[in-house]
Amino acid sequence: MPWIVKNLWLIPALPMLAAGLTALAPQRCRKFAASLAIGSMVGAFLLSLCAFARALQIGPHGPKDFYNFDWLQFAAGAPGVLQLGWVLDPLTAVMLVMVTFVGLLIFIYSVGYMAHDENFTRFFTFLSLFAGAMLGVVIANSLLLLFICWELVGLTSYLLIGFWYHRPSAAAAAKKAFITTRVGDVFFFLGMMWLYHEAGTLLFYDEGRGCLEQGALIGMVAQTTSLGLAVSTCIGLLIFAGAVGKSGQVPLHVWLPDAMEGPTPVSALIHAATMVAAGVFLVARVFPLMAAHPEGAAAETTALQAVTWIGAITAVFAASIAVAQNDIKRILAYSTVSQLGYMMMGLGTGGVAVGMFHLITHAFFKALLFMGAGSVIHGCHEEQDIRRMGGIKKYMPITFATYAVGMLALAGFPLFFSGFWSKDEILHAAHGWPVSHVPFYLGVAGAFLTAFYMTRQVALVFFGNNRSEALPSRSTHEAKEAHDKSHAPNAGGHAAAEDSRAPHESPPVMTWPLIILAACAIGLSVIGTPAWPWFQSFLGAHHAEGFTAGVVKLMVISALIVFAGLGLGWWLYGRKPSQNADEPDVLEKLPLGMHTWFARKYGIDELYELTVIRFNAWSARACAFLDQWIWGGAVALVSYLMLGFSWVSRAFDEFVINLGFDQSCGGVTRGGRMMSRFQDGRVQNYLRILGAGLVALVLFLIWGGGK
Amino acid sequence: MNVSYLELLKLAAPETIVVLTALAALVVDLTSTRDLEARFRFIINGMIACAGCVAAIVWMLVMPAHANALEGMFVVDPLTQVVKIALLGLTLFTVLISMDSTFTEHIGEYLALILLAAVGMMFLVSAEDILMIFISLELTSLSLYILAAFNKRDVNSAEAALKYFLFGGMAAAFTLFGLSLLYGLSGATNLGQIAAALEDKGLDPLLIVAMVMIVLGFGFKVAAVPFHLWAPDAYQGAPTPSAAFIASGSKVASFFIFAKVMMIGFTGGETNGVHEIAGSAAWQQFVSGWTPVVAVVAVLSMLLGNLVAIVQSSVKRLIAYSAIAHAGYMLIGVMAHSGEAVASLVYYAVTYGLTTIGAFGVVAVVEARSKDDQLASFAGLSRRAPVVSLCMMIFMLSLAGIPPLAGFFGKFYVFAAALKTGAPNLGLLWLVILAIAMSAVSFYYYLQVLKQIYVADMPAGAEELRVPVLGQVVLGLIAVGVILLGCAPNLLVGVLQASIKAAGL
Repeated sequence: MPWIVKNLWLIPALPMLAAGLTALAPQRCRKFAASLAIGSMVGAFLLSLCAFARALQIGPHGPKDFYNFDWLQFAAGAPGVLQLGWVLDPLTAVMLVMVTFVGLLIFIYSVGYMAHDENFTRFFTFLSLFAGAMLGVVIANSLLLLFICWELVGLTSYLLIGFWYHRPSAAAAAKKAFITTRVGDVFFFLGMMWLYHEAGTLLFYDEGRGCLEQGALIGMVAQTTSLGLAVSTCIGLLIFAGAVGKSGQVPLHVWLPDAMEGPTPVSALIHAATMVAAGVFLVARVFPLMAAHPEGAAAETTALQAVTWIGAITAVFAASIAVAQNDIKRILAYSTVSQLGYMMMGLGTGGVAVGMFHLITHAFFKALLFMGAGSVIHGCHEEQDIRRMGGIKKYMPITFATYAVGMLALAGFPLFFSGFWSKDEILHAAHGWPVSHVPFYLGVAGAFLTAFYMTRQVALVFFGNNRSEALPSRSTHEAKEAHDKSHAPNAGGHAAAEDSRAPHESPPVMTWPLIILAACAIGLSVIGTPAWPWFQSFLGAHHAEGFTAGVVKLMVISALIVFAGLGLGWWLYGRKPSQNADEPDVLEKLPLGMHTWFARKYGIDELYELTVIRFNAWSARACAFLDQWIWGGAVALVSYLMLGFSWVSRAFDEFVINLGFDQSCGGVTRGGRMMSRFQDGRVQNYLRILGAGLVALVLFLIWGGGK
Repeated sequence: MNVSYLELLKLAAPETIVVLTALAALVVDLTSTRDLEARFRFIINGMIACAGCVAAIVWMLVMPAHANALEGMFVVDPLTQVVKIALLGLTLFTVLISMDSTFTEHIGEYLALILLAAVGMMFLVSAEDILMIFISLELTSLSLYILAAFNKRDVNSAEAALKYFLFGGMAAAFTLFGLSLLYGLSGATNLGQIAAALEDKGLDPLLIVAMVMIVLGFGFKVAAVPFHLWAPDAYQGAPTPSAAFIASGSKVASFFIFAKVMMIGFTGGETNGVHEIAGSAAWQQFVSGWTPVVAVVAVLSMLLGNLVAIVQSSVKRLIAYSAIAHAGYMLIGVMAHSGEAVASLVYYAVTYGLTTIGAFGVVAVVEARSKDDQLASFAGLSRRAPVVSLCMMIFMLSLAGIPPLAGFFGKFYVFAAALKTGAPNLGLLWLVILAIAMSAVSFYYYLQVLKQIYVADMPAGAEELRVPVLGQVVLGLIAVGVILLGCAPNLLVGVLQASIKAAGL
């Protein structure tokens, strides 16, 4: 077994170790924390490259590299051993490289972004822990280990979203994220238990005994539940529910936009590269389980259909909401939800390679966008409302250039941007999906909307003239104050420039990661085009059609749609830029109050507020009532009874037992004294007693014996 | 069965060694060490005595034997060897605690008598023949009478010894009478043969009288009520090491032979007893003829011993009454008459003996300085002699039966064995309950001693007690032994059970 396979655990262990060490370091050790975290990520990245090399060597169809070990013996014998382990296959390798690389860039970027935060050290602790947990999810060869790291990811995302816990909104968002994902995790856990029950193991690969391998799958496919679904499908659906929670799919997407309350690098890390991708990765990981179908039946199992439908609906649903948002990060958040929907759709229709390709490309350009947005926010003195920006292009040229690359990649601008190829792949797969064409049309609509809202955003942020001064707004004041405060420690920095109100370009430590990511957003298109589908074949997909007529036709269609979206966006927002931030949005003229629906996110939050949360609050009140009056009453009754008993018992003690005891103690002593009178020291009496005793005993025995 | 004398000598080698040691101590003291200081004489001769005991113990450990010589006159089996080793150990400790005493100038004689008493006990343990039993009993008793009287200058010692002697003489007379009756009834002196002969005889009055008389004889030896009257006076008046030996070694040997006589000799009476008394509901819980007698004696002992101990102001008398109470507990073990009960009985007797020697050792230390053994003399002892006080605490708590000390496990084991034996009709349950209740009472007076030691103020002008190093070491060793046997009872119990199995009891 090669060294890297045996020591794959080092990759998550390094950031975790860094987290542990920085957690112990005092607040002021900023340099130490940052360099340790970045150093650990560099180490993890290098190890990931080794792992990638190994995976290249083995290839998609070679034997799986895995290493299992006994973790817990909970019952006697071999079945009572719980095994954990890690696996190195192309899926793992690709994810490892992506997560460590993007993570590393985000870490570096954070050094600049968080430079003024007093909890810098804590931030890097959480960041490292998050990275470690995510890498653990990626390498896990056991659903249990995956689940453990999955929960750790959930915990750290909670900590990071609520990093500015003194803001009520951040605290609420953290709570919301945690609880909402927990809903999915409950199903995930159930699925895991069921899987353990059926397969007897939670290891994915174990030389033919793993739960994703042929033997176990055949057994699970053969059984059907009362709903008429195969057991494997049911388990797959349950596990998919976990992914729905984590990846912000409808209907558990509500936490993701709110999670923008965290610092921007966190948004980039959580919402672009890693955490939300964990759900997609999970589906990709258990894909054999979901796709398992009996011989001869259609390959589109119910589980995969569910994945496709949910993904498609999410894609268009979130994109439509993004159209009407004004917060720069919120738009990106809904865009993320929408793109995750694409990935799910890709997984459901085209398999692992299609979904994963979009995951990887999206990770790069979405991290780029988030960090670019962070740079904009940073430069605009903590302003997040795109209506109060405008014309930033000339202040922040690097940010603009890189942002534009990210935007075009996300919008799917043809040929030069990775997003185009990966999205095209998905649409192609959806087009060929035998079950229904609706997902394809939804995807197309989503693509149009994506291009539109990204154009809107870029036009409002970077073009036109700056509307921040024109706005006598309370929030700007606040933002300014916050900005001043945050810049106070390094007086004489760039804030002291002639016009400190004007936006300014971010420091190099923030722009360089942007540049690198922008390069990747373009460059990644090379590895997945139909001409050279290296990525797809690396992940084990078999299609090498090349530029066939069908492919080209679809490409043209999707390119046209993208152009339409871009054009419409430009026509509405870029052509004659609005002068005032309070101008109503052009889309508000849409019929049926559609814009309001979009802006209010279809009222899903309100719906949950009215149903789930209200019910929960009501039942909590009911429980409180029960607790206070019924159970509390019962307990109080019992305690009063006990008090009564103890009172009676004390009285009994004092007046009966104690008196009696004292009496009898006196009696005992008196008895002893009396008996010691036998002992009068006269030996003749002793001997008399001896004789008397003898006679008494003999008589006693004779009479007693019944004689 | 014919045994050559050489073989007999080999079997009796431990006894022979002890006799020779006794003679050696006597001779050495009378010839060579006459003119030395008393302390050195005691140390030199004491060492000789100890060496003899150790040699005998080593002999038994190295040469395990299993033989029945002269039709039960002299039985050697693993069980008797274990008991003998325990007896020699107790003898050893008795010698060690007496090394510091100053009550006599006749050191050689004193040590020789202790050793001869030990020889008597060893023969007693080995005997399965009533004649041999009586002779050994007398050898032991006579030595002990003299030991009790050894402090010639003290009137109390003489008085104690006289009472002990008179009482013992009378008890011996009864015992001999009882044994003669037994011989007359069965025509045999061997216990096994007696049992066989009694098998088809009813529980006639003559047998009852014989039985009661024998019980009386042993009851005297183990100081059970109402044959206990000598004990408080003898314990108090006799020199402390003598009292310790009477309370420990003598008790172990007596209890062992008591159980043996009852279990082997009266099995016949027992089976007949079942038929005879089965009709009477009041006696149903007694499964054998002799148990009612022993039960009565045990109940009386537990009651009287514990109650009277409460009002004692002399520590030695207190220990004497507690000894009576402990005899009552041990009689429960005799009544249980099973192999396990014998194991528990021996364990109890040995640990009790060890603890008592320790307690008497502490009393001797205090007595040597304050000239009396009143409770008040112990006041504030913990500040005057902390090590000795700690030892005393361990001894007292062990006697009271506090876990994890040996006394606790001894009681537990005896009671458990008794309950197991009486399980079908819970015959011994009420006795066990009584015993547990009475041991609760016993806490009072044991804690009384500890209260004096640890809580009470020092009498004015009291200074630190100078305890010789040897004394401290010996007491410490005994205390460690008590703790060890309590924490790891299997050290002794395992050996006992194995040897009982080997002996076939």
